[in-house]
Amino acid sequence: MRRALHLRAIAPYALLLPGLLWLVLFYVYPAFQMFLVSMWTGNLDAGFVQSWNWGIYPEAIAEYWPWLARSIVYGGLATILAFALGFPLAYAIAFRGGAYKNVLLFLVIAPFFTSFLLRTISWKIILADNGLLLGPLKDVGLLSEEFRLLATPAAVIAGITYNFLPFMTLPLYVALERMDKRLIEAAEDLYAGPWRPQGIIAGLVIGGVLGVVVGAVMGYGPVVVGIVGAVAGALVGTFLISQAFIRVTLPLALPGIFAGSLLTFIPAVGDFINAELLGNPQSLMIGNVIQARYLEVTDYPTASALSFVLMLAILIGLFFYARLLGTEELTGASV
Amino acid sequence: MTDRMPLPGDLTRRRFLQGSTLAGTAAFLAACGTPPAGSGAASATAAASEAPSASASAAATPANSGDLRFANWIGYIDTADDGTYPTIQKFETESGIEVTYGDGEVDDNETFFTSDLQAPLDAGLPTEWDIVVVTDWMVGRLARLGWLETIDTAMTPNFVANLAENYKGRSFDPDTNLAAPWQSGMTGLGFDKNKTGDLDSLEVFFNDQFKGKLTYLSEMRDTVGLSAIRLGSDPANLTQEQFDAALAEVDKAIKAGVVRQVTGNSYVEDMAGGSVVLSMAWSGDVLSLLVPDQKADQDFQWALPKEGGMLWTDNMVIPKGSPNKAQAERWIDFYYEPTNAATIEAWVNYVCPVAGAKEVMVELDAEIANNPLIFPPEDWVARLRQFRTTTAEEETAWAEAFTKAMGL
Repeated sequence: MRRALHLRAIAPYALLLPGLLWLVLFYVYPAFQMFLVSMWTGNLDAGFVQSWNWGIYPEAIAEYWPWLARSIVYGGLATILAFALGFPLAYAIAFRGGAYKNVLLFLVIAPFFTSFLLRTISWKIILADNGLLLGPLKDVGLLSEEFRLLATPAAVIAGITYNFLPFMTLPLYVALERMDKRLIEAAEDLYAGPWRPQGIIAGLVIGGVLGVVVGAVMGYGPVVVGIVGAVAGALVGTFLISQAFIRVTLPLALPGIFAGSLLTFIPAVGDFINAELLGNPQSLMIGNVIQARYLEVTDYPTASALSFVLMLAILIGLFFYARLLGTEELTGASV
Repeated sequence: MTDRMPLPGDLTRRRFLQGSTLAGTAAFLAACGTPPAGSGAASATAAASEAPSASASAAATPANSGDLRFANWIGYIDTADDGTYPTIQKFETESGIEVTYGDGEVDDNETFFTSDLQAPLDAGLPTEWDIVVVTDWMVGRLARLGWLETIDTAMTPNFVANLAENYKGRSFDPDTNLAAPWQSGMTGLGFDKNKTGDLDSLEVFFNDQFKGKLTYLSEMRDTVGLSAIRLGSDPANLTQEQFDAALAEVDKAIKAGVVRQVTGNSYVEDMAGGSVVLSMAWSGDVLSLLVPDQKADQDFQWALPKEGGMLWTDNMVIPKGSPNKAQAERWIDFYYEPTNAATIEAWVNYVCPVAGAKEVMVELDAEIANNPLIFPPEDWVARLRQFRTTTAEEETAWAEAFTKAMGL
């Protein structure tokens, strides 16, 4: 009896062990190694020495903050766009999928059966200057001959959004799927109706601000994109958002929103493939810088320092994000 | 020549898609009459080459047993449909040496250096390989660091006799005993003739004629090399001032938006899709990748600019401390038998550094033998330039200056 109790007490720790070992071996140790490398001085030919050169951090930040900022903006916009696309998708599958739920879910992850690289390259064909999308628009004169999507920030953000959309959709789906739908009926019984006029105002403001930011970053006239965003937001706010959604569905989906946005944002900020393939010299991200410093310039210390700075920046962002969404609600809603 | 992506497969390497498009390329080559691996023509050569090889290796007492571990780029040797390597098998039969062939083990110079060479060689230990194939400038780096074995040329009479003249005494290998060229390629004008008309000058890379529709290469030595040639400098003995001037032109064109992107060989997809009509292009790409993707209204061409173009080479080198140096030398000698080189060439389709291979190829496949992209004629060779080796300081400083111009 005593023995059984004893086993039961250590079982959780034993179960943790493989994961912990994995983490220590493949994350903590390499990260520590990288930390040491960041404070090397020297070069390939003369060799590197551990000089504890802390100064490299302010230096690296001073030199590369524009790329860091750009990565955070691109990653952030891609996350918001993935949410805007992923939430209705997850909602539709969870609430209206019916017998096709599994098929639809499969379709969400189907792109993962192709390599990340090939998926990104295929965008070069879709977005080509006279390709499937732009060709017809140019033919009818809606766009000028010089207009292009490839080799612009818009293509980079769109590429990231596309590549990480499943990471956003799946957690949202899980959160929505296990929601007790009777709660919505209960809310409606208690006179929850359309969410007006708040919905119109909120949609107008959120859509407008997002449109201006997207337009500014992508370089397509913030005013026009802002107006389009505001109108779209107002329409969504008027016709699609109900009080039950605001009071019941959204709070219950928060854990999914939290998980999905982290799973999207973190890899998106560090991504370099999309910028490399779909961007131009003016839209390269911090991942490209780290790669170039490490492999081409063999400047291992700066590359390592930048990796750490990126990690730290994300961690700090994460902390505030968790505070904003409210950890209490997160854990509360997930029970 | 190559590149920079560590993951997930290299993006900028010129042979990057080749793995996935091998099947298509093979089909295309077959349609054009180029015998792919394992075809009747290739095996005929194998049979024909036995007599000369026996006499050639009689000079010294070469290795007749043991192991050879050979790391190469993907798709860089004749490969049969069942995944075996006919030329390697022939070597094994002939020499009694057992070969471990690492197909695609090298996928990028920098990555391979970091993953397979740096740590052991820095510690004075042998690497896992006896022969590795790396590009000129990486040979320069390895030679500078003293991390290469010298090839005993007494053991490689074919290499001495059959290395094409323009590969002798290169700046990183003055005595021609560190690096044995495997394949070369040329960097010049790649264009869609239907959209650009005939092109023959480097000027189009720097003026507004195709603004936003042209790409540069992410290889510093290609892009800066071509820019230097345009300014009348010779990349083979570039001074710091000439480098600065050449880079300034590159930087200006990128900043002005003349250059759409600085790419590895992903320019191939952009050209196939029609977004890019002109690129600094590798001869092998146009030959093996662009043409099969051509649409009805496209006409891809590769031209050596009248001012000159770049020649780069991937070389076989023996990493310091290799326990199978004699076996490695036996292989190098074997490769430099024209029949063997021609057999590989018929499949690989880059530029062959082995003199005499063309004569063998005339018999084997006249179309390949007369293709200037595989066997460049004399007047092309005269216009081809090789980038000089750099000092340690230059290597870092120039790489850094170039990445800055690229927007990094």
